[in-house]
Amino acid sequence: MDGKGKVTVRCKDLCKTFYAKNRKQDEVNEVIRNLNLEVKENEFLVLFGPGQCGKTTILNLLAGLVDATGGEIEVNGKKVDGPSCDRGMVYQTTALFPWMSVMKNVSFGPRMQGVKKEEWKKRAQYYIDLVGLTGFEDSYPVKLSGGMQQRVGIARAYCNNPDVIFMDEPFGHLDAQTRYLMEEEIEKICSKEKRTVVFVTNNVEEAIYLADRIVVLTEMPASVKKEYIIGLPRPRDYTSEAFLALREEITQCVEGNVAEEEVQG
Amino acid sequence: MVIYPASSCNRHKRNERLDKMKKNKKYMVISAISMICFFVLWELVTDVFHLFPVYSMPSPIKTFQAFFIKLVNPSPDGSVLLVHVAASLQVALTGYVLGAIVGIPLGILMAWYKPVDLFVKPIFDLIRPIPPIGWVPIMILLLGIDLKSKAMVIFVSAVIPCIINSYSGIKQTSEVHINVGKTFGLTKFEILRKIAIPTALPMIFTGLRVSLGVAWMTLVAAELVAATKGLGYMLQIARTIGRPDIIVMGMLVIAGVGAILTGTLEFLEKKFVRR
Amino acid sequence: MKTKEKSLAVGIGAAAILSVFLIWYFAASYTKVSLFFPTPQKVFSRFAESLSVPIGKYTLQMHVLYSLKRVFVGFGLSSVTGIILGVAMGYSKTVNAIVRPIFNIIRPIPGLAWIPLAILWFGIGETTKYFIIFMGGFANIVLNSYDGTNKVDQTLVGAAELLGANKFQIFVNIILPSATPYIFAGLQVSLSTSWMAVLAAEMISSYEGAGWIINMGMNTGDTVLILVGMISIAIIGFALANIMRVLERRLCSWTVRGK
Repeated sequence: MDGKGKVTVRCKDLCKTFYAKNRKQDEVNEVIRNLNLEVKENEFLVLFGPGQCGKTTILNLLAGLVDATGGEIEVNGKKVDGPSCDRGMVYQTTALFPWMSVMKNVSFGPRMQGVKKEEWKKRAQYYIDLVGLTGFEDSYPVKLSGGMQQRVGIARAYCNNPDVIFMDEPFGHLDAQTRYLMEEEIEKICSKEKRTVVFVTNNVEEAIYLADRIVVLTEMPASVKKEYIIGLPRPRDYTSEAFLALREEITQCVEGNVAEEEVQG
Repeated sequence: MVIYPASSCNRHKRNERLDKMKKNKKYMVISAISMICFFVLWELVTDVFHLFPVYSMPSPIKTFQAFFIKLVNPSPDGSVLLVHVAASLQVALTGYVLGAIVGIPLGILMAWYKPVDLFVKPIFDLIRPIPPIGWVPIMILLLGIDLKSKAMVIFVSAVIPCIINSYSGIKQTSEVHINVGKTFGLTKFEILRKIAIPTALPMIFTGLRVSLGVAWMTLVAAELVAATKGLGYMLQIARTIGRPDIIVMGMLVIAGVGAILTGTLEFLEKKFVRR
Repeated sequence: MKTKEKSLAVGIGAAAILSVFLIWYFAASYTKVSLFFPTPQKVFSRFAESLSVPIGKYTLQMHVLYSLKRVFVGFGLSSVTGIILGVAMGYSKTVNAIVRPIFNIIRPIPGLAWIPLAILWFGIGETTKYFIIFMGGFANIVLNSYDGTNKVDQTLVGAAELLGANKFQIFVNIILPSATPYIFAGLQVSLSTSWMAVLAAEMISSYEGAGWIINMGMNTGDTVLILVGMISIAIIGFALANIMRVLERRLCSWTVRGK
């Protein structure tokens, strides 16, 4: 990425603190402190951070599912206040609607917006085919494997044609084998259907494999620690020297052995 | 990079929390108003405007009075309130405890030993679809109208949920835990005692709670049909002489005693079941 | 192997039921039990006879149909109102705040304890019975519908919002379907309490129905009649429970249980 191009998501000085009322005292939990982030159009941005550092909260804020304590978020110049269909989300828990077939799940967005039946059928079918689930249109999610369920989740997000798609550790629950497969799959889908993606993970390899740019987050309260622009040619090789070196560097960065650099706004 | 002073974030947040507290308070106020409206309306349609005939609908004040009068005055049914409560409790608890003593071990045995399951299940399935109240006539005919017959009916009502819940509780034991037990060289009985029963304990308590509710309801119904003492009997007499104040008071006492019984059980459950 | 196990299970089951009847037969034929308890043949022949010879005003199957009609009217009413109220309470905190305190007073009163008051209010006609059955099942349906609506997975609601669904669409497409299994659990319990309530109501004031039969048996000291009544009650109870189970499997095929 050369720093030019349209900015799709911009968030400025984002803060989020949770207050939980305990029996005796108030629990204060500051999750995000002054997070500044810009995501360019058609960029694949990976948010990478240690275990519980509020990555999911960041996505929920960006999606408008949770209100921020302070700061501003804009998507394509519009201020975010509440969820809307210009943003899509892929969940770690898949969050498929269990009472709907694959077809009904994938077509949910268009159907809710009153798109005609032939139209949504065609669109959903295209994305079902794209994620490789042809033949499973009428199956219910319980009958699918974890990887297949996640494919449905991805197709559902794409089918609604959002400006930006947030992916919240989508492969966190999958076994290693399926995970590699799904990473390849995502890579393929993204090359066919260029979208702006914000992808959250705590797996370095996954981050380097997929990202145009990696933003490393600090521990809670989360803010940007360091950025890496990944220029390796795709499809990437997990075992190439550049890959491994990058992997080492980012791991070191997360563990805090790299002197903290000036954060870019 | 602009760093907001921490206090600005916090003030924002504090407002949010105040909003939440205000909202909760709002709902509490609504609840209180709705409660007051309910009683005022009840009082208005009875004592003030007499929209209902006196023999069918008591006012809340009369109901309240009936409670205190009935505490000391044995008319019209021959016993004071506490005697009725004691009589009902005696029958209900006798049947209930018997039901638990028989039902829980039976459920456990059925779940743990296949032959027992195969043998008992069909008989159990034969009996289960009959609602407990359906047992009243045959029990009264066989055992008379006293404590024994009603305790037996309560027994039948209580034993069924106890069996079902302890059965499915034991069945929930995970295969992994059983295998752990086996690798440590426990016998089948030891695995049951040390692994399966602790697993089933929460379900067993659920069964005890369900059957307590059913037992209490069955008892009241049984006393309505045939009794010489007890809360259900008190209600029945009050109906025949047209005293709705005693009926409604009695219903509330039944509800109260039921709630106390359930509460006691929940307290015990909290003490015995570590979640 | 599987079929062998299955036939063994059927064999043992049959043996169990057979032994119950044998014990009953021998006890009622050759021991003192015979003084107050009839033999199984007597009960079954009476059962068969009652299908054509009326007990009181009607034949056995007519009595049962009367009871069933009452159950369906009362249970239907309590289902519709209970689901509406419970879902409304689960969906809107304000509705919950208004209704909850009153509901909490009524809920712990066992359905059958309404019988005397119902008779004072509505006399001894059909209305009384409908009301008692209604009260028997109502609280449970409300509670379960409330739970189901309230426990809807907020992630799914968020997902639907992100896909552009409005409030009404979320209610119809997300909240109602996810509450359905809970509502069904409530309906199942309520149907069996309704069946119990109709018996109690018929035992206390009625001229027909399954409850009337066993009460009649009690009042005339006719043990055979009571047992005939109990058998028909068991058959209907079994049928009702299974109808609900089949319906559930149809409507909730997407749950893990439906799998």
